[in-house]
Amino acid sequence: MDTIDRRQFIERMLALGGTALATAALLSLLSCSKEPPPEPPTDNITPPSLPPGGAAYLAVARGESPTTLVQRSVSALGGIERFVKPGNDVIIKPNICGSGRTPEYATTTNPEVVAALVALCVGAGAKRVRVMDLPFSGTSNDAYDNSGIAEAVRNAGGEMEVMTKMKFQDTPIPHGQIITSCHVYQDILDTDVLIDVPIAKHHGNTLLTLGMKNLLGVVDNAPSYHTSHLSERVVDLNTLVRPHLIVVDAIRILLNNGPTGGNLNDVKRMNTIIASHDIVAADSYGATLFGKTGDDLPIVRGGAKRGLGIMDLASIKIEEIAV
Amino acid sequence: MVPKKTPRRWRWIRLSVQILALLLFLYLLIGSRVGATTFLPGDLFFRLDPLTGLSAMLAEKRFIAPMLLGLLAIGLTLVLGRVWCSWICPLGTLLDWTNLRRRYRNALGHLSQWRQVKYLVLLAVLFAALLGTLSLVILDPITIIFRTVTSGVLPGLNSLTTWTETRLYRFDSLQGFLDGFDRFIRGHLLPAAEPYFIPSLVLLVFFIGILALNAIRPRFWCRYVCPLGGLLGLVSRVSLLRRSVDQEKCNSCRRCARECPVNAIDSEKDYTSDPAECTLCLKCVENCPTRAIAVRPQPQPAEPELEGLTRRQVLGSFGIMLAGVALLRLAPLLRGTEQRRLRPPGSSENDMMKKCLRCGVCINICPTRAIHPSGTGADYDGVWTPMLVPRLGYCDYICNRCGQVCPTGAIPKLSLSDKQQTVIGRAEIDEDRCIPWAQGINCIVCQEMCPLAEKAIELDDVTVTNSEGLETVVRRPRVIIDRCIGCGLCEHQCPVKGEAAIRVYPGDGEGQHQRRGRS
Repeated sequence: MDTIDRRQFIERMLALGGTALATAALLSLLSCSKEPPPEPPTDNITPPSLPPGGAAYLAVARGESPTTLVQRSVSALGGIERFVKPGNDVIIKPNICGSGRTPEYATTTNPEVVAALVALCVGAGAKRVRVMDLPFSGTSNDAYDNSGIAEAVRNAGGEMEVMTKMKFQDTPIPHGQIITSCHVYQDILDTDVLIDVPIAKHHGNTLLTLGMKNLLGVVDNAPSYHTSHLSERVVDLNTLVRPHLIVVDAIRILLNNGPTGGNLNDVKRMNTIIASHDIVAADSYGATLFGKTGDDLPIVRGGAKRGLGIMDLASIKIEEIAV
Repeated sequence: MVPKKTPRRWRWIRLSVQILALLLFLYLLIGSRVGATTFLPGDLFFRLDPLTGLSAMLAEKRFIAPMLLGLLAIGLTLVLGRVWCSWICPLGTLLDWTNLRRRYRNALGHLSQWRQVKYLVLLAVLFAALLGTLSLVILDPITIIFRTVTSGVLPGLNSLTTWTETRLYRFDSLQGFLDGFDRFIRGHLLPAAEPYFIPSLVLLVFFIGILALNAIRPRFWCRYVCPLGGLLGLVSRVSLLRRSVDQEKCNSCRRCARECPVNAIDSEKDYTSDPAECTLCLKCVENCPTRAIAVRPQPQPAEPELEGLTRRQVLGSFGIMLAGVALLRLAPLLRGTEQRRLRPPGSSENDMMKKCLRCGVCINICPTRAIHPSGTGADYDGVWTPMLVPRLGYCDYICNRCGQVCPTGAIPKLSLSDKQQTVIGRAEIDEDRCIPWAQGINCIVCQEMCPLAEKAIELDDVTVTNSEGLETVVRRPRVIIDRCIGCGLCEHQCPVKGEAAIRVYPGDGEGQHQRRGRS
């Protein structure tokens, strides 16, 4: 058997230790090649442009028929052709938050409103009109069916899309302040025209759910946005996801126990549709239906501050239509 | 039934029947999940399987009418012999196909005493059932294959698909194709919700182990272990159709003995076979060079080559099961800490033990992946019984599917409105982890999620000092215990990382059907 003396042992141990150290140092050097630090948020967010010609900046229609209200309010904005060009791919994002409620509970967007928009887009020559949301309870198909939206959309010539896992991808938010990336549905970003169709309703944290908050349905980890700074995170998300048209469904509104409701006493019939290309303005007007102003809602206030739109309703051209 | 056709054809006929049976099995499995109206009941194979039916009836000591379909399989065996094993059984089919060994080592002794093990397993299953535990039914081949496909194979396929799709979707040119592919496959072949099951890997390893036993002997499982094979083997001893060898034509080439996948043919005894072992695969018929082998009606019951079970063995196994079941029952005494055993809506712990076949039909159909096979989470006595794991999936408020498909009523058939009033458990807030309670930051996810019209979670506006030392008004959730039904949506969606800050615990009366508001 080979034997080694103390000197040899110490020499070998030193050599071994040295090699290990050198390897570790080399490895740590290699792993030090950091990614470049994220660019500091620049708040040069493009504000919503002014509408062409004499079109209204924001339109409010009141009356009995949801379909007519949608048609009239959109035409006051300059018609659907302003937003949808022939051959466009269109995604409509209603609020279909869960599977448990039918439309009269005012927790999901009115199916007639969604269908009217689908019909308008199809009429304007859209290549494809998809409707989607990511419900937080139940399966998408159950939620689509129970909300009445699935049937209405199919009859109007659109299609329902189940938001599938593969299309949620990590995406940087260049203007993000609290969150600088999100796991967002890629088609929402890639589509030619995105139409945001929230239902106006109560919410325990953000006070109300309107157009800006409705966009939380395009990420697949919405609950984790609630751990802190929910409103600020929603604003950050809105700097990335910029719908071209916002139609706030206030046919029925939910005054309390939102967003999932379940009690008809909390539902109020307003027979109102608000439409604008400016999400902040639309939400600011939506707040007035609840006796609030945009300034009361941290999300709307934050959106205005960041240049996502105009909160001050006195400074924009509003067309009120009675049908 | 002397084959007038070319004997070779039998191989193709059998293969077609096997494929059809396997496809039917998968069709029913997937069809019942997607809610398609299948032309046959979704649990057809469990009903046809006489072992699951017999065990369920023994455990419950009552007749279960749908399970009488098992008599069909018994009748089939009485006429044709143990054909179930090599023509119908989906597990048998897979074992047939994964038999990679070209030449069987049938030289290694003809009938080994190990074959008796399957009868002992059968006795163990039946005695255990008689004593009120169905745990050993997990060895039934139909439950094995169903459980493995539902909770092991499909989740595996699903995560592989999602992983691949997500990576490929970054390439613009592939998006159109992937879109179509995804629509085609999701909600049909693959479940709409991402299926994750805690013990998927255990199930797969067990299953692969069964397949791997093929390396020791072809169809090792069927020969030595399968309790259903044992049951049908007992019946097939008196079957009408049996294999016979024309001694005048036989030239003792030994080919049949070599080819027999279950090694049932004894070259020492004029190449006759034990009808308890022969599965009528007809390989010998098609391989016999002199066409000496045929399958024909034989009115006299066969003399089994193996000694049947002795009285001593039967009594012995009963004794062992008695001791075994008693030991299993000891587990709850040791348990004490196991407080989170949530069962599907309406099922009591007692029903679960006595009625549940561990078949996994409920796990397969649950659209929100609330139901998981328990592993040992429900004691050894309740292994693979369904358990709710709200962190991974919640009970959807508008769904009552599990109770509708349970073949034995272990989960009661509740109407939707009844289910919506049935208490699964009660939510409790962990105030040390809950964001508003612990950090003074608004969250409200649990409250907004609560699907009840009268929410079981309410918010209190409280002035607190938050984690930054500032006075602030925070909306703190509070559970109204009499309203809560324990659906688990709040626990599932709680944004706190790791263990949720709101958790569902079983209601106070374990094993009682509870209605909401009557705690």
